[in-house]
Amino acid sequence: MRYMFADAPRATLTACYWAFLLYLLLPLTLMMAMSFKDANFIAFPIGEWTLDWYVKVMQDKQFLEACLYSIMIAAAATVSATVLGTWIAMLIVAEGIRGRVVIFALACLPAVVPGMISAISLRIFVSAIDMPTGTAAIILGHTVHAVPFVVVMALTRLRTMPGNLVDAARDLGADSVVAFFRVTLPYLGPALFGGMIFCVLLSIDDFVRTFFLGGYRPTLPMLIFAKVQGGMSPEINAMATLVLVVTAAVGLYAEFMTRRARTR
Amino acid sequence: MEPVVKFDNITKSYGSHVAVQNLNLAIERGKFVTLLGPSGCGKSTSLRMLGGFETPTSGRIMLGGKDVTRVPPNKRNVNIVFQDYALFPHMSVAKNIAFGLELKGHDRQHIHRRVSELLELVQLQDYSARLPSELSGGQRQRVALMRALAPDPEVLLLDEPLSALDAKLRQQMQIELKSIQEKTGKTFIFVTHDQEEALTMSDTIVVMNKGRIEQMGDPDTLYGKPGSVFVANFIGETNLLRSTMVGTEGDVVTLDWNGITIKADQGGLAPKVGGHLYVVLRPEAIHCSAAEPTSGNRIKGKIRQRVFKGNHTSLMIEVGGGATLNALVHPSDVGQLNGEDVWVGWKPETATVIPDRHAHN
Repeated sequence: MRYMFADAPRATLTACYWAFLLYLLLPLTLMMAMSFKDANFIAFPIGEWTLDWYVKVMQDKQFLEACLYSIMIAAAATVSATVLGTWIAMLIVAEGIRGRVVIFALACLPAVVPGMISAISLRIFVSAIDMPTGTAAIILGHTVHAVPFVVVMALTRLRTMPGNLVDAARDLGADSVVAFFRVTLPYLGPALFGGMIFCVLLSIDDFVRTFFLGGYRPTLPMLIFAKVQGGMSPEINAMATLVLVVTAAVGLYAEFMTRRARTR
Repeated sequence: MEPVVKFDNITKSYGSHVAVQNLNLAIERGKFVTLLGPSGCGKSTSLRMLGGFETPTSGRIMLGGKDVTRVPPNKRNVNIVFQDYALFPHMSVAKNIAFGLELKGHDRQHIHRRVSELLELVQLQDYSARLPSELSGGQRQRVALMRALAPDPEVLLLDEPLSALDAKLRQQMQIELKSIQEKTGKTFIFVTHDQEEALTMSDTIVVMNKGRIEQMGDPDTLYGKPGSVFVANFIGETNLLRSTMVGTEGDVVTLDWNGITIKADQGGLAPKVGGHLYVVLRPEAIHCSAAEPTSGNRIKGKIRQRVFKGNHTSLMIEVGGGATLNALVHPSDVGQLNGEDVWVGWKPETATVIPDRHAHN
């Protein structure tokens, strides 16, 4: 009896892992498969295969515009979140700063506040300051959401930075601005790169904040949402597949790059 | 000649803790000066004040005749070699060395020439494109040194730069540092807790203890004529014989040590009869023999411990009354010391006396 169960915990773990993988990948695989189906209904069996849906998506002006709009917002939100996040991280590690725990907690808050709450409060805030909903408001919302991730990544890297690197730069004639741009920032480079990719993915993916803060121009998730409400079609599957492939590729590339920079 | 660096009554305290107390120190141009002392003696704080990273609580620091007490580090003409080198990890060797030159606004050609000249000085010409992480400890050390020398500082500060290296490499770097200092003619101020490093390289050693200067002088003087018990203990190994003054004959004093009468050089002190003194007797000044020496101090003792150390043997000898002496014996003399019994002898002029500060003389 003992021997029979000796490997049980390990076997259970392995089984759980495969179950998880199946649960994660099966819906995605189905979605992808349906995007190649030569029929209007999403259901088995897939009789004929086709690439027509992809051709249709690539010619869909609405889709292309939404893509462009999402990328534009992601870029703006990423740049502002990176600047803000790095600034806050520098402040937290600076000498003689009081209440760094409070600063850190406040900086991290947007990451843990539920998306819906965050979206509603942002909406109230935006109307309170008479800011029109639309591009600027969306960028603001995405920035606030992304800052904590930049702060955490920059902080982790800053804490491994030898304290006397900046001293050495100052000793060799750099004022604090030159020391930041020529020593600290390059040192933070890999972490910030990873953080920025994360910001882009967060922004492209965001639905709730965009929904509350957006104007009439749809971002990618909003467009897909609108299309789904109009009825499922393999065209949506093709769109989703494209988004999935591109974001996965970007994520993997970022992971590869930061890993390489870290081992150097 | 005007000193290149002058600490003028410098005090630095952190709250109630006084790190450096009324430090007065003048350093001559072109010398290799070492600040030596145990950790917490104020040597690093003094160096950081000179570098501009700490502001003195009171007093003035002069550099090349100018008051730099409140000048920030980037505006002072001194450079530091940091303990863990602090090389910029994302810059190549050449870029690291060029950093200070670029900030001084030199043109490209000049920078290029200077960098290759410095790399040649430490035989690292072939490494200019490497990153610091691709260098060995000794090579990083050399790059850090060249980076600090590149902007041609008035004084080069070295903050325990050899402590991260292994013993063999450290000895090699000591010789190299000294030769670079001689070649460049720069003033080096070196901070260390390692007395051997200090003795090997320095023109002048400043021994510090508890934020004050304990003694300052060339290595020979500090080793041969330590001015205090602290210095005698800190530099080299030593036998300290707490003795009572008995009488004087010219430069030689007669003392009583645990009931044994010994003679020593009075070393400029004018001790009173009945006062207490320490006799500083270096282990290598002791001569051990089987037969009784004919002159000088001689005591009969028993060998309690022998430690073979290759080029010499260290003996612990009991000389009566529970007192022991450490002696170094040359391999050619060990042969005759077979049994326990031994005669310990030394010439009075090879031992010096220092006052016992804790007793009322």
